[in-house]
Amino acid sequence: MSTISRSRSPIKLGMWLLLAPLCLWLLLLIILPHLELLTYSLSAPDEGGFTFEFYGEFFGESLYWRTFLRTAVMSILATILTLLIGFPVAFFIAKMIKGRSKGILFAMCLIPFWVSELVRTFGWMILLRESGVISTALQWLGFIDSGVELLYTDATIMLGLVYSAMLFMVVPLVSTLDSLDDSYIEAGYDLGGNNWNILREIVIPHAMPGIVSGCIIVFMLSLGNYLTPVLLGGKDSLWFTEQIYTQFITRFNWEQGSAFGILLLILSSLIVWLGLKVTGQSFTKTMG
Amino acid sequence: MKKTSVLSIAIALSMSASAQAAEELRLLTWGGYAPQNVIDLFEKETGIEVKVTNSNNEEMISKLRATRGSGFDLAQPSQDRVLGAQKDHKIYKPLDLSKIDRAQFIPSMLSATEGQSTLKGEVYAVPHVWGSSGLVVNRADAADIKDYTDLCNAAYEGKVSYRLKRPTLIGFAYAMGEDPFAAYSDEDKYQQIMDKVGQKLMDCKDNVKTYWSGGDALLNLMRSGETVAAMAWDAGGWKLNQENADITFVAPASGALGWIDTFVLPRKTKNEEAAYKWINFVMQPDIAAMITDSAGNFTASKGSDEYVDATLKSQYQASFSAADIDNIKWYPPVPAGLEKIEGKILDRVNAY
Amino acid sequence: MGIIFLSDDIMQTPPIDLACENICKHFAQFTAVNDVSFTIPKGSFFSILGPSGCGKTTLLRMLAGFESPSTGDIKIKQTSVLNVPPNKRPVNMVFQHLALFPTMDVAQNVGYGLRRQGVAKAEIAERVAAVLQRVGLPDSGKKQVSQLSGGQRQRIALARCLVLNPTLLLLDEPLGALDLKLREQMKIELKQLQKEFGTTFVYITHDQSEALVMSDQIAVMNHGKFEQVGTPHELYYEPKTAFVASFVGDSNRWSGRVTQQTGETLQVTTKDGLTLQGVAQGGTFDDASEVDIFVRPEAIHVSRLVPQIRLDNQLECTVNNILFDGAKSQIIAIEEKSGGRIMVAMPQTADFKDLKITDTLYLTFSTEQALCFSHSQELDDVDH
Repeated sequence: MSTISRSRSPIKLGMWLLLAPLCLWLLLLIILPHLELLTYSLSAPDEGGFTFEFYGEFFGESLYWRTFLRTAVMSILATILTLLIGFPVAFFIAKMIKGRSKGILFAMCLIPFWVSELVRTFGWMILLRESGVISTALQWLGFIDSGVELLYTDATIMLGLVYSAMLFMVVPLVSTLDSLDDSYIEAGYDLGGNNWNILREIVIPHAMPGIVSGCIIVFMLSLGNYLTPVLLGGKDSLWFTEQIYTQFITRFNWEQGSAFGILLLILSSLIVWLGLKVTGQSFTKTMG
Repeated sequence: MKKTSVLSIAIALSMSASAQAAEELRLLTWGGYAPQNVIDLFEKETGIEVKVTNSNNEEMISKLRATRGSGFDLAQPSQDRVLGAQKDHKIYKPLDLSKIDRAQFIPSMLSATEGQSTLKGEVYAVPHVWGSSGLVVNRADAADIKDYTDLCNAAYEGKVSYRLKRPTLIGFAYAMGEDPFAAYSDEDKYQQIMDKVGQKLMDCKDNVKTYWSGGDALLNLMRSGETVAAMAWDAGGWKLNQENADITFVAPASGALGWIDTFVLPRKTKNEEAAYKWINFVMQPDIAAMITDSAGNFTASKGSDEYVDATLKSQYQASFSAADIDNIKWYPPVPAGLEKIEGKILDRVNAY
Repeated sequence: MGIIFLSDDIMQTPPIDLACENICKHFAQFTAVNDVSFTIPKGSFFSILGPSGCGKTTLLRMLAGFESPSTGDIKIKQTSVLNVPPNKRPVNMVFQHLALFPTMDVAQNVGYGLRRQGVAKAEIAERVAAVLQRVGLPDSGKKQVSQLSGGQRQRIALARCLVLNPTLLLLDEPLGALDLKLREQMKIELKQLQKEFGTTFVYITHDQSEALVMSDQIAVMNHGKFEQVGTPHELYYEPKTAFVASFVGDSNRWSGRVTQQTGETLQVTTKDGLTLQGVAQGGTFDDASEVDIFVRPEAIHVSRLVPQIRLDNQLECTVNNILFDGAKSQIIAIEEKSGGRIMVAMPQTADFKDLKITDTLYLTFSTEQALCFSHSQELDDVDH
């Protein structure tokens, strides 16, 4: 970092020293690999030179863009579901309970994250498979005659996605809802509001930064998830990250995989940007 | 691909923990090929520490490609994946055959492997473990499954499993009366065959419970009875056979697919000497038998049969008649370009 | 103790807006409000004054409907509201920190309640504009809450409630967060607005000056009970309990024992050895019973020379400190024999211009200015 030698005053030096890890991290692990990906995706492997072939492949082969579309739609759906389930949970933790039980409940949301995603996913597989816990229990109780397969459906993927993303929705929501003074809610009631319009006009507008940041995180996590759709979705998983993995690892087609990676980055950023536009939020407001 | 690749470094860093101990052998291999008892014996004899990374063909090649042949001292890709990968990515190093005790190998297998892994007069691979893929069938529920295409019988809807990988394409092609290996040199013909196989697999999708990806996942599917038949490796079938006599490996009517996993040197191997020591060590008949016990597959070690567990021998004999053995289709080296054709077909089947 | 304000003169009394009957509120550990009864006539400014933790906030929240009394009844315009939820009560509240909705602009804040009532849009705009005009903030409708000054926020918070024409407006120490100067100004403004709108205000505060300046009636509350209800004048000059005497306005206090009684007049020997004469308050005393004597600083006559006129109580002191505060300057004097501290108002005459520390002062006050109450242990604890 030549900047260090250029800056004279010790304060500036200190600032740069503090910034250095961040800059290095950004440069080495974020910017350079992405530039590398970009270069790969644009270079022709055999004859050399520059080509858009691999991007063309994405749009030309309906299989790829449809997989992406499916991934995006499922991720959006997972985000909405996570929000719908996470909001009451967060509201309960932030507003309805006080003291020690609050911490305990929050910790309970955290517990599943003490084990790796793989273990959590296998947990679901043990529960949901045809010879699994739920199916066996239902048979034992006499509700069904033979085992039911609860795995390998879109609903299972959704379940897994919502489950593994829940914490990332609840945490920002709890912190924004925590910052909502009870007196605002009371003022709402006092002025004649009922539960529904207090939620709509006071609580949700206040929680909007938390909702948006939670949604962005959950959407990105779902879109970038690999294990959950592949393991729980089985033969119907069709997740875009699976395509990228396949291109890189089993097809040795790094150029195509890079193009997919770049496209995932661009398209997901686009979706997030659109989402922010539609809800009238700004990224800086949400993250600040 | 000669540019300095930051991405490769990043991938390499994330994929392989590079160790810097003085005498160690970093082995990139398959699960079961380097059991702890063998490692212990080797360490005792040579003082060399063995670090094992379990993998599969695609990952081995991807890792070595990402690091341009460094990070490991010895790798074990299948014989058919040696030459293609070497031509495309230059990730291997020619073997010095004088350092290998050739007398320990079954001569026919050694010459076959050497013949199929020779590039510009240099030999890149020697054989280690061999086996086949075919059908694992629960005979109580699906006695009539004799060939790959039988998996698509309407009676077994949602009850079978196979991988979405190239062996499945090849197996189905044979079962459908084609000869894909013969078409390796004819890209158009191969494309035709693959299109046909792809269509068949799409039609067959309703029969599939799930496409299995890890060996353990398959064992669980068969063990729990969720699937009654699957396309899988022989060793898996024999392992299940020990738990449930109904389940066993069946050599398909159109022929089992034979593979040989080899020893190759990554281009930037740091401890070539240890690699040769390991090869010579594990090819001793008694050691090779220990690996057979652990992996479930036989090795190219001459005379190791007599040390192998009797059960495995009898299972092998039950699954393979003499005719079945003759009928094994051995994978020839994959020419460049074919994998792209296969990839597209597999993607389509997956998306269907 | 049921205190019915002016109830003996029905003809002249405005109708009663709020009546609380024997309200108690028990929490698991303690009793926050203990058998409180009072009535508030329409259009008056009623303050509940008490130290923090005295139960005044709980009482106010019961009026608003956020808490329900354990026993007792709350009647607004003669109708019990115990089963009416807060959003249905004809009561609005100005919160301690105002609780203006930060996500809405001023007009949306003020119009919130009207929207809840389903008032037509045009009418909402009209009424919001009108109320903003009345609180002196026309054209502020489009502003964000964060753009307003502290005083302007106060007025918007009031406007948000007043636009709904509530029967009762509850105010929970809304001036607490303001700086002193603004607080003084807002006191006057609040009183003015209350008069203009004619709405009944219930104002809770721990600041006696706020209560004294604005209120028609003040209830002094302590330990969940009303100690005294009366006009500011009554509370200041005729406190009924030691607590009221000490809490409302400044006082000098001596503790001592009754040594002699002549009718209402008591002679008391204080703990530090002074003999003082005062008037018995709140009943009669036995000889030797413990009492507290309260004397207002401004009721003490100060002179630098031995006074010509002898009053009942005379103390010779030296100046210990002078707290200069313009017209409100005070002298802290030490009584020579006992060493006790006495606070007196500094007379604004030329005699005292050159008063210095260690100067001698003669303090005199009449028996009538010295109020004797039976001794309160609690006040001792506060002093320490």
